[in-house]
Amino acid sequence: MNESFWIWPLALFALTFVLGIVAVVAGIGGGVLFVPIVASFFPFHLDFVRGAGLLLALSGTLAAGPLLLRAGLANLRLVMPLALAGSVCSLAGAVTGLALPTDLVQTALGATVIAVAALLWMSSGGENFSEESDALGERLRLQGRFVDHAAGGVRIDWRTRRTALGIASFAGIGFLGGMFGLGAGFANVPALNLLMGAPLKVAVGTSGLIISIINSSAAWVYINRGALLPVIAVPAILGVMLGSRIGARLLPVLPAPVVRRTVIVVLALAGARALLRGLGVWP
Amino acid sequence: MTDPQEVYARWLDALTGIAFVFSVLALALYLTGALTPFVAPQAVVELWRLPVDQYLARAGAPSGWGWLSLVGRGDYLNLAGICLFALISLICCARVIPAFLRRGEPLHAALAAAQVLVLLAAALNLFPGAR
Repeated sequence: MNESFWIWPLALFALTFVLGIVAVVAGIGGGVLFVPIVASFFPFHLDFVRGAGLLLALSGTLAAGPLLLRAGLANLRLVMPLALAGSVCSLAGAVTGLALPTDLVQTALGATVIAVAALLWMSSGGENFSEESDALGERLRLQGRFVDHAAGGVRIDWRTRRTALGIASFAGIGFLGGMFGLGAGFANVPALNLLMGAPLKVAVGTSGLIISIINSSAAWVYINRGALLPVIAVPAILGVMLGSRIGARLLPVLPAPVVRRTVIVVLALAGARALLRGLGVWP
Repeated sequence: MTDPQEVYARWLDALTGIAFVFSVLALALYLTGALTPFVAPQAVVELWRLPVDQYLARAGAPSGWGWLSLVGRGDYLNLAGICLFALISLICCARVIPAFLRRGEPLHAALAAAQVLVLLAAALNLFPGAR
C-alpha cells in the first residue's frame, strides 16, 4: 500500500477519536464538529465528508441507544412520530444537498454552523418540562416517568405539549441534517426540551435515538449515490465509537462547561472557515 | 408481555455489535491487503478531491447496489459494513411492530411500519430524485 494513502485516514481516525470524547462531554453530536472541520482542513470533497458525517453521527448514536433506552433516557414512543417526519425530510435534504453547487452548500453549512455556535452560547441548559399534555400528545401517549438519580432520585412525570409544532420542527431539522450531513442534536434537544416540554435528560437521550433513525434514511441517499468512501467513513466511525466510550467514562471528571466553551470556539472557527471557503474568500 | 422499548434496545444492542465487529474485520482485511481493493489506493488519493459524480466516472466505480458484485474487494467489503449500520434502525423498527400490536398500541405500530417503509424506500433507492 502507498504510505501517503494512509496519512489522511489515520489523521481522520485520530481526529474522530478526540471528537468522540469531546462530543459526549459537551453533549453535542459529533457530526456538527466533524463536517466543518474535515471539510475545511482535509483534502476530501464535501460530498464524501457529508456522507461520512452522517455515518459518524449514526454509529455514535446507535452505540449509545441501548443504554439510553434501558435507562429511560430515550423514549421510543416519543421517537416514533418525530423520527418519521425527520427521516422523510432528511431524504429530501440529502437529495437537495447533492444536487446543489458545492460552493453554495459550503456557504450555507458555514452559516448554519456559526448559528449553532451562537445557539449553544445562548442556551442556558436549565430544566424545563411539561406536566400537561396537548390532545395529539395524549393520543400518541407521549408521556413518561423519569427518575433523576443525579438530583437525589427526584421523580419527574412528563407529557409533551405543542406536539404538532414539535413534529413540524423535526421535519425542518431533518432536512438540514440530511443536506449538511449533520446529526443535528444541537437543534433536536432544544426542540424536545424547550418546545415540547420533555425533561432535559430525556430530550438529550431521545435526540440520540432520533438521530440514529433519521441519519439512516439520509445515509442511504449517500450510499446509493456512491458518496460514501469507506476509506474516509470507516476510520471515522471506528474513531468516534471508541472516543465516545472514553468520553462516557471521562464525563464525571472533566469540567463540562470548559469543554462546552471550547467546542463553541472550535465551531465558530470551523464555521467561519467553511463560510469563507464557500464564498471563495479563503479557498 | 415485553415492552417494545426493551425489544428495540435488545435488537439495537445485538445488531450494533455485529456491525462493529464486521467493520473492524473488514478494515483489517483492507489494511493488510488480504483483499485487493477495486479502486487502487493511489487513485483514491487523486480522486477523493472530486465531486462524487466525477469520482465515480473516473474510478469506474458503481452507484446504487452495483457494489454488491464487488463485495469480495477490500474497499467494497467495508461498504458492506457501512450498509449494516444503515440497516439497523430498519430492522429494529420492523421488530417492534408486533410488540406494539401485542400491547394494544396500533397507532405506534402503524408509525413503526411507516418508518420501515421510508427506510426501505431509501435503501432501495426508490425516493424521487435520489438517483
